[in-house]
Amino acid sequence: MCDTCGCDHDHEIKDSKTIDVNQSLLKSNDEAAASNRKHFNEKGIYVVNLISSPGSGKTTLLEKTIEALKDSISIGVLEGDIETELDAERIRAKGVPAVQLTTGGACHLESALIHKGFHKLEHQLDGKKLDILFIENVGNLVCPSFFDLGEHIRVVLISVPEGHDKPIKYPKAIKTSQVMLITKTDLVEHFDFDIEKTKKDALALNPSIKILVTSAKTGEGLDKWFELLNDALTGK
Amino acid sequence: MHEVSIALGMVDELTRIASENNATKITLVKLKIGKLSGIVVDSLIFAFDAIKLEHPIMTSAEIIINEIPLIYECNDCNTKFETEDIYFPECTGCKSYNLTIVSGEEQHIENVEVEV
Repeated sequence: MCDTCGCDHDHEIKDSKTIDVNQSLLKSNDEAAASNRKHFNEKGIYVVNLISSPGSGKTTLLEKTIEALKDSISIGVLEGDIETELDAERIRAKGVPAVQLTTGGACHLESALIHKGFHKLEHQLDGKKLDILFIENVGNLVCPSFFDLGEHIRVVLISVPEGHDKPIKYPKAIKTSQVMLITKTDLVEHFDFDIEKTKKDALALNPSIKILVTSAKTGEGLDKWFELLNDALTGK
Repeated sequence: MHEVSIALGMVDELTRIASENNATKITLVKLKIGKLSGIVVDSLIFAFDAIKLEHPIMTSAEIIINEIPLIYECNDCNTKFETEDIYFPECTGCKSYNLTIVSGEEQHIENVEVEV
């Protein structure tokens, strides 16, 4: 008989309790990112995560970087897009291994996908060691800034046609990046884009961000970009 | 739309927490979300309410959000102040821009109420 009310069946009496958690909502991604970073460090691979709006010139920057550096260092690329192999094909055409990560709708890459993609890339490498791995994120200035992928540096691209208000409109992308590239500066005379204002706003949001002014078309500033990568590789 | 991914990660964590504590049901999830976190609270709840239906242990779980104000401390005059200005806040005491964030970037699960 029930002790609570004297009826002839047992009530299901459940205890409730409060469990203190106090952990980040992004814990599962952050843990996978830490595991990726450890793996990259063990293999001596420097990892660069490129983020920007769609069409800011990430793939073109990679093509120019590969042309300039592929004879001196070993490069691999993980290409993030919602659909298609197009970008990975552009990279492979330059003679370096690339794996396309299609998110099927998701607007950013996550650490678990990087882990899988890197192992797929290793198959293409066939035992060859990588010096540098570029991750080209899905074109989006919002969501990629939330997800650590295990990279060593995050580089944000802001192109001249997008307008100089981008840093203040997308502060998290600027705050979480270590390098900002202003791209397509060959177009500056055709647009109302104030390079100095862009730099000033970015530095106000992130005083330690390193800013490079570049054009993949004219080659302006690319030497500084290559120097930054070479310094990172020799300093690691 | 990163809120869907965040909600998926949260469901994984809640499943783990429930299992570690031998919980039979999750009834309430309290989150701390800072004003500067970049998480859209309504989107996060919308995503969680859709995903939780696939997880019997949390189908009736509710979310309570503890919204954390944006508070800065001035590195020049040590004034602490709350502001709504998420871009270029200035110190209310000395107008300096040399500030450190005290709170407002939180994106945490604070605690979880369960039935055992």
